[in-house]
Amino acid sequence: MAVLRPYLYTGGVHKHGLLIELLEDLGGYIIQKVVTGTEVNLIMLIPEKDIPIVKKQSDELLGMMVEAPLTGVEIAVVSPTLASHHLPHSACDIAEYLRHPGANTNMIGLARGMGRRVSLSMDYERRLINEHDIAVFTFGSFSDCIINKKPKLFEGIEIPIVVTGGPDLKTEEVPGADLYVGDIGRTSHRLRKAEEISALDKLNEGVGKIADNIRKQQAKDPLAVLPARVMKEIENQVPEIRTVLSPAPLTLQLNGLRVKLPYDEFHEKIEKLEFDEGVTLSELANISKSKMKNYILIKIKSKSDVGFAI
Amino acid sequence: MDPLEVFDVESAIAPEQEFYRKIIEDNLSSLKLVPAIGRIKVVLRPEDSLFQMAILLRDVGTRVTTTDIADMEVKPIASQIIISIKKEQYIPELLGKLWERYGKANISQPDRWTVTISTDNPRAEAAFLKDMMVADPRHRLHENLVDFAIRVTPEGFRVRYHLYKGNQFIFVASEEALKHEWIEEAGAMLEELTKGGKK
Repeated sequence: MAVLRPYLYTGGVHKHGLLIELLEDLGGYIIQKVVTGTEVNLIMLIPEKDIPIVKKQSDELLGMMVEAPLTGVEIAVVSPTLASHHLPHSACDIAEYLRHPGANTNMIGLARGMGRRVSLSMDYERRLINEHDIAVFTFGSFSDCIINKKPKLFEGIEIPIVVTGGPDLKTEEVPGADLYVGDIGRTSHRLRKAEEISALDKLNEGVGKIADNIRKQQAKDPLAVLPARVMKEIENQVPEIRTVLSPAPLTLQLNGLRVKLPYDEFHEKIEKLEFDEGVTLSELANISKSKMKNYILIKIKSKSDVGFAI
Repeated sequence: MDPLEVFDVESAIAPEQEFYRKIIEDNLSSLKLVPAIGRIKVVLRPEDSLFQMAILLRDVGTRVTTTDIADMEVKPIASQIIISIKKEQYIPELLGKLWERYGKANISQPDRWTVTISTDNPRAEAAFLKDMMVADPRHRLHENLVDFAIRVTPEGFRVRYHLYKGNQFIFVASEEALKHEWIEEAGAMLEELTKGGKK
Protein backbone atom coordinates (compact mmCIF):
# COMPACT_ATOMS: atom_id res chain seq x y z
CA MET A 1 0.00 0.00 0.00
CA ALA A 2 1.29 3.46 -0.89
CA VAL A 3 2.40 5.61 2.01
CA LEU A 4 0.49 8.88 2.10
CA ARG A 5 1.97 12.12 3.44
CA PRO A 6 -0.16 15.03 4.61
CA TYR A 7 0.48 18.46 3.07
CA LEU A 8 -1.13 21.86 3.21
CA TYR A 9 -1.28 23.88 0.01
CA THR A 10 -1.94 27.61 0.10
CA GLY A 11 -2.28 29.54 -3.11
CA GLY A 12 -4.52 31.50 -5.42
CA VAL A 13 -7.88 30.18 -6.52
CA HIS A 14 -6.88 30.53 -10.18
CA LYS A 15 -6.32 27.12 -11.79
CA HIS A 16 -6.11 25.31 -8.45
CA GLY A 17 -8.33 22.68 -10.08
CA LEU A 18 -5.22 21.47 -11.89
CA LEU A 19 -3.70 20.49 -8.58
CA ILE A 20 -6.83 18.63 -7.50
CA GLU A 21 -6.95 16.74 -10.82
CA LEU A 22 -3.29 15.83 -10.55
CA LEU A 23 -3.81 14.55 -7.03
CA GLU A 24 -6.74 12.42 -8.11
CA ASP A 25 -4.66 10.93 -10.93
CA LEU A 26 -1.89 10.08 -8.48
CA GLY A 27 -4.26 8.39 -6.04
CA GLY A 28 -4.03 11.00 -3.32
CA TYR A 29 -6.89 12.52 -1.36
CA ILE A 30 -8.23 16.01 -0.74
CA ILE A 31 -9.17 16.12 2.91
CA GLN A 32 -10.41 19.67 3.11
CA LYS A 33 -10.76 22.60 0.77
CA VAL A 34 -11.31 26.07 2.13
CA VAL A 35 -11.74 28.99 -0.24
CA THR A 36 -11.37 32.41 1.34
CA GLY A 37 -11.76 35.23 -1.13
CA THR A 38 -9.08 34.77 -3.73
CA GLU A 39 -7.10 32.28 -1.72
CA VAL A 40 -7.53 28.56 -1.41
CA ASN A 41 -6.30 26.19 1.30
CA LEU A 42 -6.11 22.54 0.49
CA ILE A 43 -5.29 19.88 2.99
CA MET A 44 -4.30 16.77 1.13
CA LEU A 45 -2.73 13.34 1.39
CA ILE A 46 -0.10 12.74 -1.27
CA PRO A 47 1.51 9.38 -2.11
CA GLU A 48 5.06 9.70 -0.79
CA LYS A 49 6.84 8.95 -4.07
CA ASP A 50 4.79 11.51 -6.00
CA ILE A 51 5.46 14.47 -3.72
CA PRO A 52 8.01 16.06 -6.12
CA ILE A 53 5.44 15.98 -8.95
CA VAL A 54 2.84 17.74 -6.82
CA LYS A 55 5.47 20.20 -5.59
CA LYS A 56 6.33 21.05 -9.18
CA GLN A 57 2.70 21.71 -10.01
CA SER A 58 2.30 23.82 -6.87
CA ASP A 59 5.36 25.89 -7.83
CA GLU A 60 3.92 26.47 -11.28
CA LEU A 61 0.75 27.81 -9.64
CA LEU A 62 2.94 30.00 -7.38
CA GLY A 63 1.42 28.34 -4.35
CA MET A 64 3.03 27.20 -1.13
CA MET A 65 3.17 23.64 0.09
CA VAL A 66 4.07 22.76 3.66
CA GLU A 67 3.89 19.53 5.56
CA ALA A 68 0.84 19.33 7.83
CA PRO A 69 1.68 16.63 10.35
CA LEU A 70 -1.64 16.82 12.21
CA THR A 71 -3.81 16.17 9.18
CA GLY A 72 -6.45 13.56 9.85
CA VAL A 73 -6.20 14.02 13.60
CA GLU A 74 -9.23 15.14 15.55
CA ILE A 75 -8.32 16.85 18.80
CA ALA A 76 -10.55 17.73 21.74
CA VAL A 77 -9.50 20.99 23.42
CA VAL A 78 -11.03 20.68 26.86
CA SER A 79 -11.40 23.69 29.10
CA PRO A 80 -12.67 23.27 32.66
CA THR A 81 -15.55 25.70 32.10
CA LEU A 82 -16.85 28.15 29.54
CA ALA A 83 -16.30 31.09 31.89
CA SER A 84 -14.09 34.03 30.95
CA HIS A 85 -11.43 32.54 33.22
CA HIS A 86 -10.67 29.84 30.67
CA LEU A 87 -12.09 31.22 27.49
CA PRO A 88 -11.69 32.77 25.05
CA HIS A 89 -8.02 33.56 25.11
CA SER A 90 -5.87 30.62 26.08
CA ALA A 91 -8.19 27.78 25.02
CA CYS A 92 -9.19 29.37 21.72
CA ASP A 93 -5.64 30.28 20.85
CA ILE A 94 -4.54 26.72 21.54
CA ALA A 95 -7.31 25.31 19.35
CA GLU A 96 -6.52 27.75 16.60
CA TYR A 97 -2.81 27.05 16.72
CA LEU A 98 -3.37 23.30 16.52
CA ARG A 99 -5.30 23.85 13.30
CA HIS A 100 -2.25 25.33 11.55
CA PRO A 101 -0.62 21.93 10.99
CA GLY A 102 -3.92 20.49 9.77
CA ALA A 103 -5.71 19.17 12.86
CA ASN A 104 -9.44 19.39 13.31
CA THR A 105 -10.18 20.66 16.79
CA ASN A 106 -13.36 20.64 18.82
CA MET A 107 -13.61 22.77 21.92
CA ILE A 108 -15.30 21.20 24.89
CA GLY A 109 -16.18 23.22 27.97
CA LEU A 110 -17.00 21.03 30.93
CA ALA A 111 -20.20 21.78 32.79
CA ARG A 112 -18.66 21.63 36.25
CA GLY A 113 -14.92 21.56 35.81
CA MET A 114 -14.16 24.69 37.80
CA GLY A 115 -12.58 24.94 41.21
CA ARG A 116 -10.29 22.63 43.11
CA ARG A 117 -12.58 20.58 45.30
CA VAL A 118 -15.81 20.64 43.34
CA SER A 119 -14.56 20.04 39.80
CA LEU A 120 -15.76 16.91 38.07
CA SER A 121 -16.61 15.64 34.62
CA MET A 122 -19.70 13.77 33.57
CA ASP A 123 -19.81 10.35 31.95
CA TYR A 124 -21.27 11.94 28.83
CA GLU A 125 -18.37 14.37 28.63
CA ARG A 126 -15.81 11.60 29.07
CA ARG A 127 -17.37 9.56 26.29
CA LEU A 128 -17.45 12.59 24.02
CA ILE A 129 -13.77 13.27 24.68
CA ASN A 130 -12.94 9.60 24.05
CA GLU A 131 -14.34 9.89 20.54
CA HIS A 132 -11.32 12.02 19.62
CA ASP A 133 -7.73 11.03 18.89
CA ILE A 134 -6.04 13.27 21.44
CA ALA A 135 -7.35 15.40 24.31
CA VAL A 136 -5.72 18.72 25.22
CA PHE A 137 -6.70 20.00 28.67
CA THR A 138 -6.14 23.70 29.20
CA PHE A 139 -5.52 24.45 32.86
CA GLY A 140 -4.61 27.55 34.82
CA SER A 141 -1.62 28.99 36.59
CA PHE A 142 -1.39 27.21 39.94
CA SER A 143 0.97 24.24 40.06
CA ASP A 144 -0.79 22.93 43.17
CA CYS A 145 -4.07 22.65 41.24
CA ILE A 146 -2.50 21.08 38.18
CA ILE A 147 -0.55 18.49 40.16
CA ASN A 148 -2.96 17.65 42.95
CA LYS A 149 -6.48 18.63 42.05
CA LYS A 150 -7.20 18.69 38.34
CA PRO A 151 -5.97 15.23 37.29
CA LYS A 152 -9.25 13.78 38.53
CA LEU A 153 -10.73 15.16 35.33
CA PHE A 154 -8.61 12.60 33.44
CA GLU A 155 -10.41 9.60 34.95
CA GLY A 156 -11.97 7.48 32.26
CA ILE A 157 -10.14 9.22 29.43
CA GLU A 158 -8.62 6.51 27.26
CA ILE A 159 -6.97 8.63 24.58
CA PRO A 160 -3.58 10.38 25.04
CA ILE A 161 -3.82 13.40 27.34
CA VAL A 162 -1.91 16.62 26.79
CA VAL A 163 -2.03 19.26 29.52
CA THR A 164 -1.24 22.95 29.21
CA GLY A 165 -0.77 25.27 32.13
CA GLY A 166 1.15 28.24 33.42
CA PRO A 167 3.93 26.87 35.62
CA ASP A 168 7.00 25.14 34.30
CA LEU A 169 6.42 21.51 35.30
CA LYS A 170 7.75 18.21 34.07
CA THR A 171 5.36 15.79 32.42
CA GLU A 172 6.06 13.20 35.14
CA GLU A 173 4.81 15.60 37.78
CA VAL A 174 1.31 15.69 36.33
CA PRO A 175 -0.28 12.32 37.05
CA GLY A 176 -2.05 10.83 34.07
CA ALA A 177 -0.72 13.25 31.48
CA ASP A 178 1.18 12.06 28.41
CA LEU A 179 2.63 15.51 27.86
CA TYR A 180 2.72 18.76 29.81
CA VAL A 181 3.39 22.11 28.15
CA GLY A 182 4.01 25.13 30.36
CA ASP A 183 3.82 28.89 29.82
CA ILE A 184 0.23 28.73 28.57
CA GLY A 185 -1.72 29.45 31.72
CA ARG A 186 -4.66 31.63 32.44
CA THR A 187 -4.46 34.81 30.39
CA SER A 188 -6.76 37.71 29.68
CA HIS A 189 -5.02 38.62 26.45
CA ARG A 190 -4.37 36.98 23.10
CA LEU A 191 -1.26 34.82 23.11
CA ARG A 192 1.18 36.81 21.02
CA LYS A 193 4.34 37.32 23.03
CA ALA A 194 7.45 35.48 21.96
CA GLU A 195 7.46 33.03 24.86
CA GLU A 196 3.77 32.31 24.44
CA ILE A 197 4.16 31.60 20.75
CA SER A 198 7.13 29.36 21.40
CA ALA A 199 5.08 27.48 24.01
CA LEU A 200 2.37 26.97 21.38
CA ASP A 201 5.01 25.73 18.95
CA LYS A 202 6.21 23.31 21.60
CA LEU A 203 2.64 22.13 22.06
CA ASN A 204 2.17 21.54 18.33
CA GLU A 205 5.43 19.66 18.15
CA GLY A 206 4.50 17.49 21.15
CA VAL A 207 1.03 16.73 19.85
CA GLY A 208 2.56 15.89 16.47
CA LYS A 209 4.88 13.39 18.16
CA ILE A 210 1.97 11.76 19.98
CA ALA A 211 0.05 11.48 16.70
CA ASP A 212 3.12 9.94 15.07
CA ASN A 213 3.38 7.39 17.86
CA ILE A 214 -0.25 6.41 17.35
CA ARG A 215 0.43 6.03 13.62
CA LYS A 216 3.48 3.88 14.35
CA GLN A 217 1.44 1.65 16.65
CA GLN A 218 -1.16 1.41 13.91
CA ALA A 219 1.44 0.45 11.31
CA LYS A 220 2.13 -2.74 13.27
CA ASP A 221 -1.48 -3.79 12.79
CA PRO A 222 -2.87 -1.57 10.02
CA LEU A 223 -6.47 -0.52 9.63
CA ALA A 224 -8.67 -2.63 7.36
CA VAL A 225 -9.23 0.41 5.16
CA LEU A 226 -7.75 3.92 5.09
CA PRO A 227 -10.02 6.56 6.64
CA ALA A 228 -9.27 8.80 3.66
CA ARG A 229 -10.58 6.15 1.31
CA VAL A 230 -13.80 5.78 3.31
CA MET A 231 -14.12 9.53 3.11
CA LYS A 232 -13.88 9.47 -0.67
CA GLU A 233 -16.39 6.64 -0.95
CA ILE A 234 -18.88 8.51 1.25
CA GLU A 235 -18.49 11.57 -0.96
CA ASN A 236 -19.24 9.42 -4.00
CA GLN A 237 -22.04 7.26 -2.62
CA VAL A 238 -23.83 9.56 -0.17
CA PRO A 239 -24.42 12.78 -2.11
CA GLU A 240 -26.26 14.37 0.83
CA ILE A 241 -22.89 15.00 2.47
CA ARG A 242 -22.41 17.89 0.06
CA THR A 243 -25.41 19.70 1.55
CA VAL A 244 -23.96 19.67 5.08
CA LEU A 245 -23.04 23.15 6.22
CA SER A 246 -20.99 22.22 9.29
CA PRO A 247 -17.25 22.76 8.94
CA ALA A 248 -15.48 19.59 7.85
CA PRO A 249 -18.61 17.49 7.14
CA LEU A 250 -16.35 14.46 7.05
CA THR A 251 -13.82 14.74 9.85
CA LEU A 252 -10.92 12.34 9.59
CA GLN A 253 -9.52 10.65 12.65
CA LEU A 254 -6.48 8.45 13.00
CA ASN A 255 -8.65 5.34 13.23
CA GLY A 256 -11.91 6.41 11.68
CA LEU A 257 -14.04 9.38 10.85
CA ARG A 258 -16.95 11.44 11.99
CA VAL A 259 -19.76 11.93 9.49
CA LYS A 260 -21.81 15.02 10.18
CA LEU A 261 -25.14 13.57 9.03
CA PRO A 262 -28.02 12.54 11.33
CA TYR A 263 -27.50 8.98 12.53
CA ASP A 264 -31.09 7.73 12.38
CA GLU A 265 -31.55 8.78 8.80
CA PHE A 266 -28.22 7.80 7.32
CA HIS A 267 -26.58 5.04 9.35
CA GLU A 268 -27.91 2.27 7.09
CA LYS A 269 -26.65 4.01 4.01
CA ILE A 270 -23.22 4.35 5.60
CA GLU A 271 -23.20 0.75 6.79
CA LYS A 272 -24.00 -0.45 3.29
CA LEU A 273 -21.26 1.63 1.70
CA GLU A 274 -19.62 -0.56 -0.92
CA PHE A 275 -15.99 -0.80 -1.96
CA ASP A 276 -14.67 -1.99 -5.33
CA GLU A 277 -13.35 -5.12 -3.62
CA GLY A 278 -16.93 -6.16 -2.87
CA VAL A 279 -16.99 -5.57 0.89
CA THR A 280 -19.28 -3.18 2.75
CA LEU A 281 -18.18 -0.72 5.37
CA SER A 282 -20.06 -2.47 8.19
CA GLU A 283 -17.73 -5.46 7.75
CA LEU A 284 -14.68 -3.24 8.21
CA ALA A 285 -15.79 -0.80 10.88
CA ASN A 286 -17.93 -0.18 13.92
CA ILE A 287 -20.54 2.41 13.12
CA SER A 288 -22.21 4.10 16.06
CA LYS A 289 -24.10 7.17 17.10
CA SER A 290 -21.70 9.93 18.08
CA LYS A 291 -22.01 11.76 21.39
CA MET A 292 -21.62 14.92 19.39
CA LYS A 293 -25.07 15.97 18.21
CA ASN A 294 -26.58 13.11 16.23
CA TYR A 295 -23.58 12.50 14.07
CA ILE A 296 -22.30 9.16 12.88
CA LEU A 297 -19.02 7.86 14.25
CA ILE A 298 -17.05 5.33 12.25
CA LYS A 299 -14.22 3.48 13.98
CA ILE A 300 -12.35 1.27 11.54
CA LYS A 301 -11.32 -2.16 12.74
CA SER A 302 -7.75 -3.33 12.42
CA LYS A 303 -6.51 -5.88 9.91
CA SER A 304 -6.11 -8.57 12.56
CA ASP A 305 -9.74 -8.07 13.57
CA VAL A 306 -11.19 -8.37 10.08
CA GLY A 307 -8.68 -10.81 8.66
CA PHE A 308 -7.86 -8.75 5.58
CA ALA A 309 -7.25 -5.20 4.51
CA ILE A 310 -8.22 -3.40 1.33
CA MET B 1 -1.74 59.47 45.07
CA ASP B 2 -0.61 58.46 41.59
CA PRO B 3 -2.38 55.75 39.63
CA LEU B 4 -1.08 52.32 40.66
CA GLU B 5 1.37 53.82 43.10
CA VAL B 6 1.52 50.45 44.84
CA PHE B 7 0.84 47.26 42.89
CA ASP B 8 1.66 44.16 44.93
CA VAL B 9 0.86 40.58 44.09
CA GLU B 10 1.97 38.00 46.64
CA SER B 11 2.06 34.26 46.26
CA ALA B 12 4.34 31.54 47.56
CA ILE B 13 5.57 30.64 44.07
CA ALA B 14 7.21 33.44 42.11
CA PRO B 15 6.16 32.55 38.54
CA GLU B 16 2.52 32.18 39.58
CA GLN B 17 2.75 35.64 41.02
CA GLU B 18 3.85 36.94 37.61
CA PHE B 19 0.94 35.23 35.83
CA TYR B 20 -1.54 36.83 38.18
CA ARG B 21 0.09 40.21 37.93
CA LYS B 22 -0.38 40.00 34.18
CA ILE B 23 -4.03 38.93 34.52
CA ILE B 24 -4.71 41.82 36.88
CA GLU B 25 -3.01 44.28 34.54
CA ASP B 26 -5.01 42.99 31.57
CA ASN B 27 -8.32 43.27 33.38
CA LEU B 28 -7.49 46.68 34.81
CA SER B 29 -6.83 47.99 31.36
CA SER B 30 -9.80 46.34 29.69
CA LEU B 31 -12.17 47.78 32.32
CA LYS B 32 -10.32 51.14 32.18
CA LEU B 33 -9.79 51.09 35.93
CA VAL B 34 -6.15 52.17 36.01
CA PRO B 35 -6.80 55.91 36.58
CA ALA B 36 -9.21 55.15 39.42
CA ILE B 37 -6.94 52.91 41.46
CA GLY B 38 -4.24 54.32 43.69
CA ARG B 39 -2.87 51.31 45.50
CA ILE B 40 -3.67 47.65 45.13
CA LYS B 41 -2.49 44.52 46.88
CA VAL B 42 -3.42 40.94 46.09
CA VAL B 43 -2.51 37.82 48.05
CA LEU B 44 -2.94 34.36 46.56
CA ARG B 45 -2.92 31.14 48.56
CA PRO B 46 -4.01 28.35 46.21
CA GLU B 47 -3.32 25.66 48.83
CA ASP B 48 -6.02 27.24 51.05
CA SER B 49 -8.22 28.11 48.06
CA LEU B 50 -7.90 31.75 49.05
CA PHE B 51 -7.81 35.00 47.14
CA GLN B 52 -7.55 38.35 48.95
CA MET B 53 -7.50 41.81 47.46
CA ALA B 54 -7.38 45.28 48.96
CA ILE B 55 -7.69 48.43 46.88
CA LEU B 56 -7.34 52.09 47.77
CA LEU B 57 -9.13 54.25 45.25
CA ARG B 58 -8.09 57.68 44.08
CA ASP B 59 -10.47 60.59 44.01
CA VAL B 60 -12.50 60.06 40.93
CA GLY B 61 -14.47 62.79 39.24
CA THR B 62 -17.53 64.16 40.96
CA ARG B 63 -21.01 63.83 39.57
CA VAL B 64 -21.45 65.03 36.04
CA THR B 65 -24.28 67.50 35.36
CA THR B 66 -25.68 68.58 32.02
CA THR B 67 -23.75 71.85 32.02
CA ASP B 68 -20.50 69.92 32.43
CA ILE B 69 -20.96 68.10 29.19
CA ALA B 70 -23.13 70.37 27.03
CA ASP B 71 -24.21 73.92 26.17
CA MET B 72 -27.87 74.72 26.36
CA GLU B 73 -29.89 77.18 24.38
CA VAL B 74 -33.52 78.01 25.17
CA LYS B 75 -35.92 78.93 22.35
CA PRO B 76 -39.13 80.02 24.10
CA ILE B 77 -41.00 80.87 20.90
CA ALA B 78 -40.35 77.49 19.33
CA SER B 79 -40.94 75.79 22.72
CA GLN B 80 -37.60 74.09 22.39
CA ILE B 81 -34.39 73.51 24.27
CA ILE B 82 -31.34 72.81 22.14
CA ILE B 83 -28.46 70.94 23.77
CA SER B 84 -25.08 71.00 22.05
CA ILE B 85 -22.97 68.21 23.43
CA LYS B 86 -19.30 68.68 24.19
CA LYS B 87 -18.41 65.34 25.76
CA GLU B 88 -19.61 62.49 23.67
CA GLN B 89 -19.04 59.69 26.18
CA TYR B 90 -22.04 60.71 28.29
CA ILE B 91 -24.60 60.81 25.45
CA PRO B 92 -26.21 57.44 26.28
CA GLU B 93 -26.79 58.40 29.91
CA LEU B 94 -28.08 61.85 28.95
CA LEU B 95 -30.50 60.47 26.39
CA GLY B 96 -31.74 57.87 28.85
CA LYS B 97 -32.51 60.55 31.41
CA LEU B 98 -34.20 62.79 28.85
CA TRP B 99 -36.35 59.99 27.45
CA GLU B 100 -37.51 59.17 30.92
CA ARG B 101 -38.55 62.76 31.64
CA TYR B 102 -39.95 63.94 28.31
CA GLY B 103 -40.80 60.78 26.41
CA LYS B 104 -39.04 59.64 23.27
CA ALA B 105 -41.48 61.48 21.01
CA ASN B 106 -40.37 64.87 22.33
CA ILE B 107 -36.66 64.30 21.87
CA SER B 108 -34.94 64.47 18.53
CA GLN B 109 -31.31 64.18 17.63
CA PRO B 110 -30.75 65.90 14.28
CA ASP B 111 -27.04 65.10 14.40
CA ARG B 112 -24.49 63.45 16.63
CA TRP B 113 -23.77 66.54 18.71
CA THR B 114 -27.24 68.04 19.02
CA VAL B 115 -30.31 67.05 20.99
CA THR B 116 -33.53 69.04 20.83
CA ILE B 117 -36.29 68.81 23.39
CA SER B 118 -39.83 70.02 22.71
CA THR B 119 -41.49 71.23 25.87
CA ASP B 120 -44.24 73.71 26.83
CA ASN B 121 -42.17 75.30 29.49
CA PRO B 122 -38.65 75.64 28.10
CA ARG B 123 -37.29 78.19 30.56
CA ALA B 124 -38.18 76.29 33.70
CA GLU B 125 -37.09 73.01 32.17
CA ALA B 126 -33.76 74.48 31.13
CA ALA B 127 -33.14 75.61 34.69
CA PHE B 128 -33.87 72.10 35.91
CA LEU B 129 -31.73 70.44 33.24
CA LYS B 130 -28.77 72.65 34.07
CA ASP B 131 -28.24 70.90 37.39
CA MET B 132 -29.53 67.49 36.41
CA MET B 133 -27.09 64.72 37.25
CA VAL B 134 -26.23 62.85 34.06
CA ALA B 135 -23.78 60.31 35.36
CA ASP B 136 -22.23 59.33 38.63
CA PRO B 137 -18.76 57.93 38.00
CA ARG B 138 -18.69 56.42 41.46
CA HIS B 139 -21.66 54.25 40.64
CA ARG B 140 -20.05 53.05 37.46
CA LEU B 141 -16.79 52.54 39.31
CA HIS B 142 -18.46 50.30 41.86
CA GLU B 143 -19.92 48.13 39.12
CA ASN B 144 -16.57 47.93 37.38
CA LEU B 145 -14.71 47.12 40.57
CA VAL B 146 -16.99 44.20 41.36
CA ASP B 147 -16.73 43.00 37.78
CA PHE B 148 -12.95 43.32 37.97
CA ALA B 149 -12.78 41.39 41.24
CA ILE B 150 -14.83 38.52 39.84
CA ARG B 151 -12.79 38.41 36.65
CA VAL B 152 -9.40 38.18 38.35
CA THR B 153 -10.47 35.70 41.03
CA PRO B 154 -9.55 32.12 40.18
CA GLU B 155 -12.52 30.32 38.67
CA GLY B 156 -14.47 28.28 41.17
CA PHE B 157 -13.90 30.57 44.14
CA ARG B 158 -17.59 31.20 44.52
CA VAL B 159 -17.74 32.15 48.18
CA ARG B 160 -17.10 35.88 48.23
CA TYR B 161 -16.96 38.79 50.59
CA HIS B 162 -16.74 42.35 49.45
CA LEU B 163 -16.70 45.74 51.10
CA TYR B 164 -16.84 49.10 49.38
CA LYS B 165 -16.67 52.13 51.62
CA GLY B 166 -15.46 55.57 50.65
CA ASN B 167 -12.27 54.99 48.73
CA GLN B 168 -11.63 51.54 50.14
CA PHE B 169 -12.40 48.23 48.55
CA ILE B 170 -11.81 44.77 50.00
CA PHE B 171 -12.51 41.50 48.26
CA VAL B 172 -12.00 38.00 49.63
CA ALA B 173 -12.94 34.86 47.73
CA SER B 174 -12.57 31.18 48.38
CA GLU B 175 -13.96 27.81 47.48
CA GLU B 176 -14.53 26.91 51.13
CA ALA B 177 -16.57 28.71 53.76
CA LEU B 178 -14.84 32.01 54.49
CA LYS B 179 -12.93 32.30 57.75
CA HIS B 180 -13.07 35.45 59.82
CA GLU B 181 -9.32 35.79 59.94
CA TRP B 182 -9.14 35.89 56.15
CA ILE B 183 -11.32 38.97 56.07
CA GLU B 184 -9.32 40.46 58.93
CA GLU B 185 -6.12 39.81 57.02
CA ALA B 186 -7.57 41.65 54.04
CA GLY B 187 -8.46 44.50 56.39
CA ALA B 188 -4.87 44.57 57.59
CA MET B 189 -3.68 44.67 53.99
CA LEU B 190 -5.86 47.69 53.42
CA GLU B 191 -4.47 49.40 56.49
CA GLU B 192 -0.96 48.75 55.26
CA LEU B 193 -1.92 50.28 51.92
CA THR B 194 -3.37 53.34 53.59
CA LYS B 195 -0.07 53.88 55.33
CA GLY B 196 1.68 53.78 51.98
CA GLY B 197 2.23 50.10 51.39
CA LYS B 198 5.41 48.14 51.72
CA LYS B 199 8.19 49.76 49.78
